Amino acid sequence: MSHFLDRLNFFKKVTDTFSGNHGMVTNEDRGWEDAYRARWQHDKIVRSTHGVNCTGSCSWKIYVKNGLVTWETQQTDYPRTRDELPNHEPRGCPRGASYSWYLYSANRVKYPMVRGRLMKLWRAALAEHQDPVTAWASIVEDPVKSAEYKSKRGLGGFVRATWQEVNPLIAAANVYTAKQYGPDRIYGFSPIPAMSMVSYAAGSRYLSLIGGACGSFYDWYCDLPPASPMVWGEQTDVPESADWYNSTFLMMWGSNVPQTRTPDAHFMTEVRYRGTKTVVVCPDYSEASKFADIWLHPKQGTDAAVAMAMGHVILREFYLDGRSDYFTDYVRTKTDFPMLVLLDPGKDGAYVNSRFLHAADLADNAGHINNPEWKTLAFDEKSGHLIVPNGSIGFRWGEKEGMIGKWNLEAKEALTGAETQLRLSVSEIRDTVVPVAFPYFGATQHPYFACTHHDPIQIRQVPVKKVRLANNTEALVATVYDLTLAQYGLDRGLGGDNVARTYDDDVPYTPAWQEKITGVPRAQIIAVARQFAENADKTHGKSMVIIGAAMNHWYHMDMNYRGVINMLMMCGCVGQSGGGWSHYVGQEKLRPQTGWTALAFALDWHRPPRHMNSTSFWYIHSSQWRHEKLSMSEILSPLVDPQQWQGTQIDYNVRAARMGWLPTAPHFDVNPLHVAKAAEAAGQAPTAYLVDNLKAGNIDFAFADPDNPVNFPRNLFVWRSNLLGSSGKGHEYFLKYLLGTTHGVQGKDLGEQGGEKPLEVKWRPGAEGKLDLLVTLDFRMSTTCMYSDIVLPTATWYEKNDLNTSDMHPFIHPLSAAVDPAWEARTDWDIFKEIARTFSEVCVGHLGIEQDVIALPTLHDTPNELAMPDVRDWKKGECELIPGKTAPNLVVVERDYPNTYKKFTSVGPLLEKMGNGGKGIGWKTEHEVEALGSLNGTVREAGISQGRPRIETDIDAAEMVMMLAPETNGHVAVKAWAALSRITGRDHSHLALPKEHEKIRFRDIQAQPRKIISSPTWSGLEDEKVSYNAGYTNVHELIPWRTVTGRQQFYQDHPWMLGFGEALCAYRPPVDMKTVAPIIGKKPNGHQEIVLNFITPHQKWGIHSTYTDNLLMLTLSRGGPIIWISEKDAQKAGIEDNDWIEAYNLNGAIAARAVVSQRVPEGMSLMYHAQEKIVNTPGSEITGTRGGIHNSVTRTILKPTHMIGSYAQQSYGFNYYGTVGANRDEFIVVRKMDRIDWLDDEQTVATETTDH
Amino acid sequence: MGEMMKTLKILSVMLCYPQSDMQMALDEMAEVLEQENLVPERQRWAVQDLMRKMAQTDLMELQERYVRLFDRGRALSLHLFEHIHGESRDRGQAMVNLLHIYQQHGFSLNIRELPDYLPLFLEYLAQRPLAEALDMLGDALHVIALLGARLAERGSDYHVVFDALSALVGEPADISDIRQQVAQEGPDPSVVNMDKLWEEEVVTFLASQDDCAGRHLGPDMVQPLHWRSCAASTPSATPTHSR
Repeated sequence: MSHFLDRLNFFKKVTDTFSGNHGMVTNEDRGWEDAYRARWQHDKIVRSTHGVNCTGSCSWKIYVKNGLVTWETQQTDYPRTRDELPNHEPRGCPRGASYSWYLYSANRVKYPMVRGRLMKLWRAALAEHQDPVTAWASIVEDPVKSAEYKSKRGLGGFVRATWQEVNPLIAAANVYTAKQYGPDRIYGFSPIPAMSMVSYAAGSRYLSLIGGACGSFYDWYCDLPPASPMVWGEQTDVPESADWYNSTFLMMWGSNVPQTRTPDAHFMTEVRYRGTKTVVVCPDYSEASKFADIWLHPKQGTDAAVAMAMGHVILREFYLDGRSDYFTDYVRTKTDFPMLVLLDPGKDGAYVNSRFLHAADLADNAGHINNPEWKTLAFDEKSGHLIVPNGSIGFRWGEKEGMIGKWNLEAKEALTGAETQLRLSVSEIRDTVVPVAFPYFGATQHPYFACTHHDPIQIRQVPVKKVRLANNTEALVATVYDLTLAQYGLDRGLGGDNVARTYDDDVPYTPAWQEKITGVPRAQIIAVARQFAENADKTHGKSMVIIGAAMNHWYHMDMNYRGVINMLMMCGCVGQSGGGWSHYVGQEKLRPQTGWTALAFALDWHRPPRHMNSTSFWYIHSSQWRHEKLSMSEILSPLVDPQQWQGTQIDYNVRAARMGWLPTAPHFDVNPLHVAKAAEAAGQAPTAYLVDNLKAGNIDFAFADPDNPVNFPRNLFVWRSNLLGSSGKGHEYFLKYLLGTTHGVQGKDLGEQGGEKPLEVKWRPGAEGKLDLLVTLDFRMSTTCMYSDIVLPTATWYEKNDLNTSDMHPFIHPLSAAVDPAWEARTDWDIFKEIARTFSEVCVGHLGIEQDVIALPTLHDTPNELAMPDVRDWKKGECELIPGKTAPNLVVVERDYPNTYKKFTSVGPLLEKMGNGGKGIGWKTEHEVEALGSLNGTVREAGISQGRPRIETDIDAAEMVMMLAPETNGHVAVKAWAALSRITGRDHSHLALPKEHEKIRFRDIQAQPRKIISSPTWSGLEDEKVSYNAGYTNVHELIPWRTVTGRQQFYQDHPWMLGFGEALCAYRPPVDMKTVAPIIGKKPNGHQEIVLNFITPHQKWGIHSTYTDNLLMLTLSRGGPIIWISEKDAQKAGIEDNDWIEAYNLNGAIAARAVVSQRVPEGMSLMYHAQEKIVNTPGSEITGTRGGIHNSVTRTILKPTHMIGSYAQQSYGFNYYGTVGANRDEFIVVRKMDRIDWLDDEQTVATETTDH
Repeated sequence: MGEMMKTLKILSVMLCYPQSDMQMALDEMAEVLEQENLVPERQRWAVQDLMRKMAQTDLMELQERYVRLFDRGRALSLHLFEHIHGESRDRGQAMVNLLHIYQQHGFSLNIRELPDYLPLFLEYLAQRPLAEALDMLGDALHVIALLGARLAERGSDYHVVFDALSALVGEPADISDIRQQVAQEGPDPSVVNMDKLWEEEVVTFLASQDDCAGRHLGPDMVQPLHWRSCAASTPSATPTHSR
């Protein structure tokens, strides 16, 4: 209005002009500009990022005005990449750009919340008992009271609480549980520490101090590829995304780069303009498929068949008929191809490949005193001798003077140091050619996958050499290379059947053979394989495969992965710039790892911490094993006697646990805090006491009796995670057994239906409601929060200080508190710090200084990884029970419970006493602790922490991580490389010396993301010339891979690998989950039912469940749960696009809308991972309760080969190896819904919108 | 004028998370409401009736009900801008503006809450002269009426508080439209009706252009609400949190 009045109708102002009348001075009112100015005004910009499970790790500008976050935009100040490479900007996608909504969203958790029923019980108990621990006991020991609140989980009824009231409740539950049952009954689940390491560490530090168990996540998500440890002894070390730009042949295999790796996709699209060929292998027409020069679309789950056929072509054209000098030299020196394998006599005159030949097999241990059973052999072309080359794992541990420094990949004979050239094939020097039997799984019948009709035992001719053993018998040996050629079905002129001369032969692993299984035309296989190899030959390894967890989520994921990795190894691509294996899923690489582990697992105060592999934990404690339908006899090798391999999945897990291969939580059916006292009473040391009682059967492993109340996991903390709304495979089993509340399980357990019962596990009626207390920390009301007893409001990613790294880029950068946490929210660090404080007060009178016995599995990268050269089970009398050798190590840790808070907030003395390190390398760290004291200040208060460096705040904690880690402290990097140099006998310090004096502080990374420093924790370099590429230092610095042979392994020789037929890579079809037949047609609603495979890829409009409750992202997708199906299947079932459909099987049911699309192949359905049931989900006609999440129709299954331990690379490590939660072999029944019921009739009376 | 302040304050308290002190003051609040006699009789009785019920209900039950209604989801959020700006970036600026108004009149937030929280807004209005307060309340009337209609639709007694607020400034002209729409929406209208709200309209080149602006994120009747500071336009540059 005022501007209207300012305008002159009758006058014109006199003005000055300038620039020859081109410019004019005006004096009009410019107040209108204020609206624009104010719109973009801000008080400050703060750097932060998004701590969700996303590889992006993009830095953002957060705009703050009057103490409120107003919006965010992408940061554009990443340090430049390298010459001739594009830079990183722009990084950041629409998901991240919508994050600030969460801060002030109606969905935000604003106050500590407790279920009203529990609150009433708690207040009443506290009024009666005063002491919080006694009060808690009075609730959970009363079956009526505990059922009262447990059965209401997921049904709303929350009230607000204060921190002063919830902290004593939580602390009391922890104290009671530790005292009554043991601290190993307190479990913590939090994933992907790399995304916000301090927040993760807050909870894990608290749990580690009180003796709780921290659960792994990578394996549980099934993003952990067990193939990576098998082949390399390393877990998911991958090239940074900028290295894609160095590739000249780029395959995206089951990875949807533009959709799920959005901020990095530009490197892929850009390099195409440089002439790089792109190939996509993906069953559906995904976003990545659009970028392909060639798009192969095999039937889902059959990728191994594609990879095997490609391997067949590569071996034929570049090893047999043609030749590549580069490949030959690479596989000779960098893989196990030349290593010798023993052949055992089998049935009908055929032989069977067995384990590697060891120095211990030969007379006088071939001159080796140390670890002769861990040193492999090969024939040397130069001397003609059978020799022990450098580098096998036996050289890594325990060598004495003179033999130290042989753990390297120099082409040398270990004892003499003579130059060698290892022989790839014994064919030229063979003594004979023998028939060898290979297992073939492609003939296995499956109701929905094609099989071929070849013999399950394939006999093929293999050239062999005779070797005289120590016991003076003669043994036959072949090289891994010779066995590989036979396995891939290549005719090399040795005669016999089951080998192919041409690609058109219908023999397993030819391009023709795979057509029936995968549907891919043979010409495409041949063309891609040939070009892949040709490119690698010419460029020395610049062929790369970006691989997605899509292929890792199948039960036989190892075959998919090893098939691809084999191609990369055959073509010398691993460890070369622009080449190699790029698996970017679910782990995101915590770069300053060795600094972080000290903080996160309180290694500065107690060692070892309690770690647990979550897949086994959830499988057992959510009683999914009680519904097991996959028999292990279905997946055994046809070459073994099934009588020798009996038992179910949980049986194998129990055996693995008692042999010390896998961890346990809880450990035993006794309280580990009581063992020392009982031992003292018996006049024994705790370890001896435990050994005697385990042998006598008085004490047993908890997993052998999971339904016994003494073995329940009692308390569960979930933070930074949506366990129940996102990652909980077997969701309905969690609800039924672990939580004891309303659920949708449709199937009967083994007791009711009479299935194969476990041999090692006591069968009891299924216990329900095992958890006493579920505490979840979150900033939004997720599905997990809905099911929790207590919800604690955490700071969002713009309200806390933390560290963030990714495997996709080489930077470390921060999350920063742009504003204080809103409402009653607190940072994770502050929440756990205060719980630790309250715990220290509440425990007095219940817990003091206690001796806690930890059952520690034999760990990878420790000398214990050589514990079991062959499998011996003490329980079966096959050996003595020796802790750390044939059973878990038993370690006594002294806990000082009333001092938990003091320990939490200070750096403990073990860092100076015992040093720091990781991955088998250790170094001293006094200097860094001292520096930390001067940086963070030291504790003044009297007590155990007096004089120690302080960790009061999240920034203090971040500084501890960065001070101790070689990646962020140049001095430490130099020390770490020096430590490694001692073992390899080669000087690696030049890799860090240029950055020796660099130290990265928290304020540095707030100013700008910083490139990290090269460290031996990782196998690539952070360099101005070379992009980070995994295996680079193995190839170029000759550091061995951490495997049996010290080389990349085509061959896996553990007895269980042989037993399950996976010594060599093979094609294995998906397994039959048997969850559809018993329910189809049983609950008709009048609509046609169809059966589809159920695939759960990552989505475009969310990162897992995060952002899926945000209206912007919901609007961009379909605004609620959706399942994609093909046009053909839709037609069969009379479903139209956007119809409400139901997907169900014995595990449970989902209600969702159909997206009918040409994208999807027939027979497959696709539901994006993690669409929560808190948004727009109606009731299910099958279960009568609210439709579930994607995991309502899944149930996890375990594979024994992932339980192998005490065997070099196949040894347990947290998030390194172990069972994985496979879920893609699942099938569902799909039909149109008849009636959409939102279940909100009596909404405000008794339920809330998301109840069920 | 002084009495007016208490009525708004009372309605503010009624929309706060129920606590024992509030529960004990219910009788007194009912009495003051009666004395001030600003809310028309029918609406006042309804509020007083709710007060009586709340006084007799177990506090924990009141709290559970409050959390169920107001602490979850956007449909019944008591944050005004949730209904006006939703996920839009305008929300941040709108909150900054509102905060600025409070500050200009000598109030700063003494609690960790957002400036658009309805009970907080009402408490501020209770401190302002009657005409100004009613004027500002009138600006928020559409949201208040919408929330009241949704609560009524869900059978919650809480709607009487919103009816009382509406009655203070007079019901919006389109209240029947609001009620009718609310009766048809599902549990979360913005999500359930997303397809309808975002449906592409058929482009007609000859027909009237009026239809072209027919797409909205939220319910049609919610009008943009933007309180601007009435004093000098130089905004305060003082950050409230600087670390």
